[in-house]
Amino acid sequence: MIWKIAKKEFLLNIMTFKFAVGAVACIVLTAVFMPILAADYQQRLELYNRNVAKNEAELREAVVYRNIRHTVYRPPAVLSAFSSGLEKQLAGSAQIELEKVPELSVTQRGGNPYLPILAVFDQSLIFKIIISILALLVAYDVVSGEREQGTLKLMLSDPIARHQVLLGKFAAGLVTLGVPVLIIYIVGLVVLLSYPMVALSGSDWIRIGLMFFASLAFTAVMYQFGLLFSSLARRSAISMVLGLFVWIIFAIVIPNVSFHLATQLRPLESPEQRDGLLTSLEEDLNSELRTEMGNLKEYFSKAIVTSDETDAFGGYYAKRRDIYWLNAERKLNAATIPVKLRYADKFLSIEQSNLNSFFAQKDLARSLCYLSPISTYENVMAILAGTGLTSFRDFIDQVRAHRNQVVEYIRSETDNFSSASFFAVCSEAESAEYTKLYVQAKEAEDEQAKARAEQALKEWERENPAEAVPLDLRDFPWFRYRPSSSAYLRKALPDLAALFITNVVLFGMCFAAFGRYDVR
Amino acid sequence: MIRQIVYKEVLENLLSLRFVLAVLLTVSLFAICGYVFVNGYGEQSKDFWKKTNENLSALREETDQLYKVAFFKQGIYRKPKPLGLCAEGFEQSLPNLFKVNAFTAELPATKGQANFALPHFSHVDWVLIISLIMSFAALVLTYDNICGEKEDGTLRQTMANTIPRHKVLTGKYAGAMITLAIPLIMGMLVSLIIVISSGGVVIGGGEWLKILMLALVSLLYLSVFVLLGIFVSSRTSHPANAMAILLFLWVVTVILVPSFSRIIFDVVYEEPTEQELQRRLDEAREEIWNNHDRYGRNAGSMSNNLSDPINNPPARARLQNATMDATNQLQQEHHNRCFQQALARRNFASLSPAVIYQRACEAIAGTGINRCAELYEQVGRYGADLKEFIRSRDSEDPVSLHLIGPERNMAYSWRAISHNPVDFDIIPKFRERPITLRQSLKLAVWDIGLLALINLCLFAAAFVSFLKYDVR
Repeated sequence: MIWKIAKKEFLLNIMTFKFAVGAVACIVLTAVFMPILAADYQQRLELYNRNVAKNEAELREAVVYRNIRHTVYRPPAVLSAFSSGLEKQLAGSAQIELEKVPELSVTQRGGNPYLPILAVFDQSLIFKIIISILALLVAYDVVSGEREQGTLKLMLSDPIARHQVLLGKFAAGLVTLGVPVLIIYIVGLVVLLSYPMVALSGSDWIRIGLMFFASLAFTAVMYQFGLLFSSLARRSAISMVLGLFVWIIFAIVIPNVSFHLATQLRPLESPEQRDGLLTSLEEDLNSELRTEMGNLKEYFSKAIVTSDETDAFGGYYAKRRDIYWLNAERKLNAATIPVKLRYADKFLSIEQSNLNSFFAQKDLARSLCYLSPISTYENVMAILAGTGLTSFRDFIDQVRAHRNQVVEYIRSETDNFSSASFFAVCSEAESAEYTKLYVQAKEAEDEQAKARAEQALKEWERENPAEAVPLDLRDFPWFRYRPSSSAYLRKALPDLAALFITNVVLFGMCFAAFGRYDVR
Repeated sequence: MIRQIVYKEVLENLLSLRFVLAVLLTVSLFAICGYVFVNGYGEQSKDFWKKTNENLSALREETDQLYKVAFFKQGIYRKPKPLGLCAEGFEQSLPNLFKVNAFTAELPATKGQANFALPHFSHVDWVLIISLIMSFAALVLTYDNICGEKEDGTLRQTMANTIPRHKVLTGKYAGAMITLAIPLIMGMLVSLIIVISSGGVVIGGGEWLKILMLALVSLLYLSVFVLLGIFVSSRTSHPANAMAILLFLWVVTVILVPSFSRIIFDVVYEEPTEQELQRRLDEAREEIWNNHDRYGRNAGSMSNNLSDPINNPPARARLQNATMDATNQLQQEHHNRCFQQALARRNFASLSPAVIYQRACEAIAGTGINRCAELYEQVGRYGADLKEFIRSRDSEDPVSLHLIGPERNMAYSWRAISHNPVDFDIIPKFRERPITLRQSLKLAVWDIGLLALINLCLFAAAFVSFLKYDVR
């Protein structure tokens, strides 16, 4: 009997005008805008590839370990077409420097400062706005409308239980709305895959599957809201008005107000305070560095020759050094770099607490948004698409891990920053020889000896040119951003669960309301 | 007779559930909006004055020598506006810091305000409430205006009287508008009362006039949706169908169209990036540097020793000034391109009356992107004034070389600019010139005209459809 009701409802729904308008709108919009979204992704991917290639090429020009100061980039998320999340707001690159914390430009908005006056469009907008309205429109008259027409009376005069009627109606609604949802996903994926640069991995497909289920669950929630109002109100006009007002509260009022409440309830750490902390820490660092420098002053007093050249990232390397200068600089590095690294960690903790205040605000806003299934759904989609805050925090963590790897790499390659290869292309033996010849030429007693010594120095220099050979980066820990799918799933789980629980609760409420519905 | 119809419509609406819901929702949102604004405004003003005073006291410390004043980078912050209550204009995510000295005005910067992790569109102001919620309420109030009455059979009875159709239509329109004006005015009053009673916000005479203007433009905007509702209602025979069409139109015009334009333009046009600007700056500097002879003998000498005969300070100052002018010009171009791009996207989006309304309100309230660009221009002009001031003070100093150039080293070690102290009070200070009502009306007049035009078209369409409507 349930099936008969479901079938009848389904056929009725499919033939309605409102369903036709809504479904056609969704599908046309997807077909028109998916190519644009995919092209946009492709552009961002090209930019990312360009940046990465340029940066790697420059890194390969580095001659000494000190100048490894590359930038790492976050690749654009392939599923951003389905949910753009924060993708366009956050730039997503970080400069790795030995002595500093990774300077995260993820917290800065890049590009045109005036663009925030425009909203961002993505596929989830179609779902969260059009499908949810469609669900309400399909549902609002299933009970109250049938009562108005008198068919509900007829149906219940048969030996059929009310829960069967309700189940049938629920199943029919789900199937009806599932059709456009499915078509949108198929059209969207076909368009997306027709772009040559788009490649979907296994975990992407799992995420797409979960996004599909989330969309279905969300549609069911909105449908059941309509069903609930339909079985609460006697007239279908009333149930529609109720449904629409609830929709506008969910779609517009709750998200906006909750962001506001969050900014009021949990204000951000003031940037002045952070800047103050950073400045005082910098002063500490400088004073500590000064004492280290003071201890090493005498070593530098004997230094004679220095000559520098530039290599990658605007850095300098030592081309020629006499042995005193070389050794003094080695001692200086061995003493100061660990201090700087220690302070880099302190800077990091300040930055971290600052970032945390941003995240805390966002998390609070998110918790407040749980009141609205539309926001919950948006959240799930952003997390699953890899464009939510989760993904950016993940990126930040990976960047930090990468920096530590780079530091360890340089440490191991340069014998705790004390070897000459950290900053110079001349080796110790070369410098010693060079110094010897140089001193000979300088301190020669007569003209003849001086000329001879200078000749020897020149010859030696010709035989041992200070050649700048790019570093051998075979063991270098190259950065590769790995979106951790399992973490996304874990993050998305509460929201998915919330959607399912809302479904169950709503069904219970519908059942209670319909059980007491006066069908006359 | 018209009055009777209006009266009946208003009464019927007033007693309906949707009206009660609309009033509850909008008035409470207006209240929230007022409350939120009071908190935010107080904090922002405090912050603004603190930073401005810090800037001035830092400037005062530089007054012991004139050249220091010329080189000091002043931080000009954007002042929060009381009319942000009505139209905030996304100012929270727009640039708020403008750094300027006598030689250059840096590109506008966004400094420590909004949370980067939150979406931009999260500011509750009047424009948001009216453009999204009240337009929706307008549709919900009018979707069954004609076809609903037809279903009830009351339309037939009305028409059986000797009343012409245009009067019925006008009556219905006026009735719906009056009904909508009630929550609108109530909400505005509630929000204003909250703001004024808090004591922190002072609304002056000109601003009251602007608020009145905003109310009128809001009514004009809402009338678009009322007419749309009546039009669709008189094209359909079932209210359910009318609602489906109206919702679809509403979603497209109010939610989808404003967000389309950005993605379309992002794909079609390339954004001016900072790297590109940097590249062009480097090129320009190199160009000038390579042709340094153009500015005089040895213009490119970087020696720090004045007595060195190789030095030619006037030529060097000319070279530096030329470099700075080129930099300023490129920055200006970059800024203009960014600004024009944003405007172009929004102009494209103004297919939607919601965007037109938003733009008109921003213009009247004097907030938003236009204000930002205007402020940047004013800051640039202030920099030029400051330079003139430095020049005139400098000419009074016989020891100075009178070479007003952007190289600090020259000014410091050679007295290219006077080292005499200067009176803090006579240094020109930056003060934002607010946009007058006339200027803002000039900006808004096109948008208001557009809204009026849409109204007219819709009214004509509704009129024709209703004339042909089968009331049976």
